Amino acid sequence: MIDLFTIVMTAAGLIFFAAGTLGLIRFPDTHSRLHALTKADNLGLGLIALGLAVQVPGPADLFKLILIWALAILAAGATAQLVARIAAPAGLGDDEKAQDGGSDGQERRRP
Amino acid sequence: MNAINRNGHDHARDDTAQLPVRARARNLYAYASPNPGNGPAQTPPILPVLARSPRERALRRCLRRLLWAVPVTAGLWLVLTGGGPDSLAFGIPAIALAGALAFATTPATRWRIAPVAAFRFAGWFALQSVLGATDVARRAFRLHLALAPGFCRFPTRLPQGAPRIFFANAISLLPGTLSAEIEGASVIVHSLDLRRNTHAELAALEWRVAALFALAPGTQDSVSHTGGAP
Repeated sequence: MIDLFTIVMTAAGLIFFAAGTLGLIRFPDTHSRLHALTKADNLGLGLIALGLAVQVPGPADLFKLILIWALAILAAGATAQLVARIAAPAGLGDDEKAQDGGSDGQERRRP
Repeated sequence: MNAINRNGHDHARDDTAQLPVRARARNLYAYASPNPGNGPAQTPPILPVLARSPRERALRRCLRRLLWAVPVTAGLWLVLTGGGPDSLAFGIPAIALAGALAFATTPATRWRIAPVAAFRFAGWFALQSVLGATDVARRAFRLHLALAPGFCRFPTRLPQGAPRIFFANAISLLPGTLSAEIEGASVIVHSLDLRRNTHAELAALEWRVAALFALAPGTQDSVSHTGGAP
């Protein structure tokens, strides 16, 4: 029963890892790829850790598993943030300025 | 671009009595951030005779952070490596470095976490991150990519520092959203599907983060506050 739980959980975890990698390959731009990596891989790792947690011999190893998961989530979040910041938000600032300028222009034209 | 809320601050000037209780709570927490000048009220001095200068208080905060960071990082290292003598050759410098970083990056203000709200947040967040992962996995496995990616700007009322950074990091695990950058008081959010109502979801998350950091006054509180507010 415990083995079955482990098999189901780690298999599901692997599916999410595969989905993350597939998204990394298929998604069109850097930011969309980051979505796939951060979200799918975090859940995949969590499911694998959960599946393995019922197999550990003692509480020390259980704590270690939880710790690895928590640190991986923190690192993934920070890395995603850094990559997203460097891959500049595709001209959002310019877009906004253009819109602001346009509306200003219209207001100026009115009086 | 539909998620841009430019008149967010105008709500505070509106007649708050017309807003629902939840919205009133949102208006109030913007002004309820902990004031660094109230330090002695939060942490009563051991020797009340001596008045502490702000500089001394800041130093004490740094030291307290250091005392907290070194045992925690040492504990992490021991759990991860088993504490063999070989690992300590790398571990001790790493722990010292972590302590120095904690000392150097002490925030200007201290934050309080509301325990009940933290449990509520953890449960909700676990569910949301599962939904987020399933959503992105489904999109990745689909034959035709159903994506309408793009950016939007979300102006937040969360104060600078830990609450705002926590908010930005949490955005990245919600379904369909990823925080790309923090620009002043706004978070630039990348959305996988701009057709979704991203702004409402982010506002809900913002409210939960405010509750987590004990920034939103309770419902009773907000009613009495707004009763007295001009």
